[in-house]
Amino acid sequence: MRTNVITSEEREKAFAPTKKPDVIERQKLDVRYHVEDYDVDNRPRRFLEAFAAILKHTNYRLALEHFIRVSTKCSRCAVQCPIYQATGDEHDIPCYRSELLLSVYRRHFTVGGSIKGRLTGSGHLTDEKIEEMAESFWNCTACRRCTLECPAGIDHALITHLGRFILSEIGISPRALVVSTREQLEGKTGNTSAIPLPALVDTLEFLEEDIKEEKGVDIKFPLDKENCEFIFIPAVSDFLMEAETLMGIAAVFKATGGSWTISTENYDAINYGLFYSDRILERVIRKLYAESERLNATNILIGECGHASRSAKYYVPVHCGGEKAKPVLNIMEYTYRMLKEGKLKLNPNVITETVTYHDPCNIARQGWIIEQPRYIIKAFCKNFVEMTPRGTENICCGGGGGTVSIDEIRPYRTLVGGKAKGDQIRATGAKYLIAPCANCKKQLRELVEDQKIDCEVVGLHDLIYKAIILDDGQTENQKTNRKG
Amino acid sequence: MPTFTYGDISIEVDEDGFMQEPEQWNEEIAKALASTEGVEEMTEDHWKLANYLRDYYLKFGIAPMIRKLCKETGFSLKYVYEMYPSGPAKGACKVAGLPKPTGCV
Repeated sequence: MRTNVITSEEREKAFAPTKKPDVIERQKLDVRYHVEDYDVDNRPRRFLEAFAAILKHTNYRLALEHFIRVSTKCSRCAVQCPIYQATGDEHDIPCYRSELLLSVYRRHFTVGGSIKGRLTGSGHLTDEKIEEMAESFWNCTACRRCTLECPAGIDHALITHLGRFILSEIGISPRALVVSTREQLEGKTGNTSAIPLPALVDTLEFLEEDIKEEKGVDIKFPLDKENCEFIFIPAVSDFLMEAETLMGIAAVFKATGGSWTISTENYDAINYGLFYSDRILERVIRKLYAESERLNATNILIGECGHASRSAKYYVPVHCGGEKAKPVLNIMEYTYRMLKEGKLKLNPNVITETVTYHDPCNIARQGWIIEQPRYIIKAFCKNFVEMTPRGTENICCGGGGGTVSIDEIRPYRTLVGGKAKGDQIRATGAKYLIAPCANCKKQLRELVEDQKIDCEVVGLHDLIYKAIILDDGQTENQKTNRKG
Repeated sequence: MPTFTYGDISIEVDEDGFMQEPEQWNEEIAKALASTEGVEEMTEDHWKLANYLRDYYLKFGIAPMIRKLCKETGFSLKYVYEMYPSGPAKGACKVAGLPKPTGCV
């Protein structure tokens, strides 16, 4: 992967200060994201205490012991990192970033490191190092491309994740994420976008009316039905932003006769814990699972959202019963299966424009969901072009790792984080950019606007909605023709 | 918490300029907030959108789905962006005195 280093003008925009000097002074933290006020005294001591507690109660030590032995800082990861490629700044090389935390571990948590450090009186954790970590770990979009290239097998994203976790324990985390998870776990509405239940009900009724108007078919969004095959939980923001995605999913269930329900007590699969705190991650997973038990659903079905799918898929078994836990699926897996079994019919004459597909890192990097969406797309889109690279090697939208929710760093996300992605999108010349992820959709819409790329960002089910053949054989296209 | 002052108006806002106490909202405050959002003049359509958001918020405690907003006001999303350059969630909602949207919005 190669992209040009950003221009000095772009650099100025991307790294422009976002905070007033008095806030930086009060919080003793010069980072671009907003942080809630926290206890600024004795940060190094508190950081080390939090680090020690995490090492005691988790198995991170095992990974760190391995990483400090094999790390050679060879910088092969630099080639794969979209951030480094855009900034050209050595501080953005993944193994440099990892070394920030590994050096703290070596100095304070290994015998050799402690002795050496005490003899030479050097290397101890300082406020400056904490500030550098607070900046560096949130410059990364956690896309995990670097892990593909590391000859020693170091998982730089895991180290960044741990670094963010420790920082969150001493109160340093982006406010945007903290406020959202607080509402999700302790607020009245119980979801990250603070959508009250009556608003959800109103929204679903509105969508049902719209489908009836456009397709002439009665399609329901079932609420709180017990004993269904699937409890469907999307990123809650879809209920504000992604009408077509939800309508497409409801239409797929209608066409395939699937048994599904949305729940009234938990309609948000977003799990920002994946980005900054294992404790939050576990609480969100347990909450999600409890709701699937209450409604006695057989499977947990996550909507078009990468991180929500990955966190549920990989952490439901960890926290909710191991192999006996309910299976977790992404909606594209369901649609793929239905299409393959011949239960879903799509009109191949509706989408004639050029279409390209963006792999969300969280479902593609490990090879989980790559070919399924392509099988669906090729079944009804006449003109599909791939981006290069794709699949497990895809390039991040630039807003991964929770950064997309941090509005104050938008120029950084779209000009630095999304620089390489912008090049890729432009090269396809596509009219529709399919991004089956709430996170990627928001970021890519901002990216095409800021980088002035002419294309429309949609979900996969948005296009399915346009082309789906329902009971009476009607598609939007045919209906328009009839009207005309 | 920062204070936003505009003429005689002085209100508490967050770092992004959203009102901290949405119940204090009135038309004068809306005009003041509009000045921070690249809105030169609050036209009839600006008010129609802001009032629609305001009414929905008072009834449901949140902004409406974007598709619903467009359908019920009759404005295309493109036109909404022309009126409020930061878009419906960040621009129009701010002027209508709603709190800052959270999560992936």
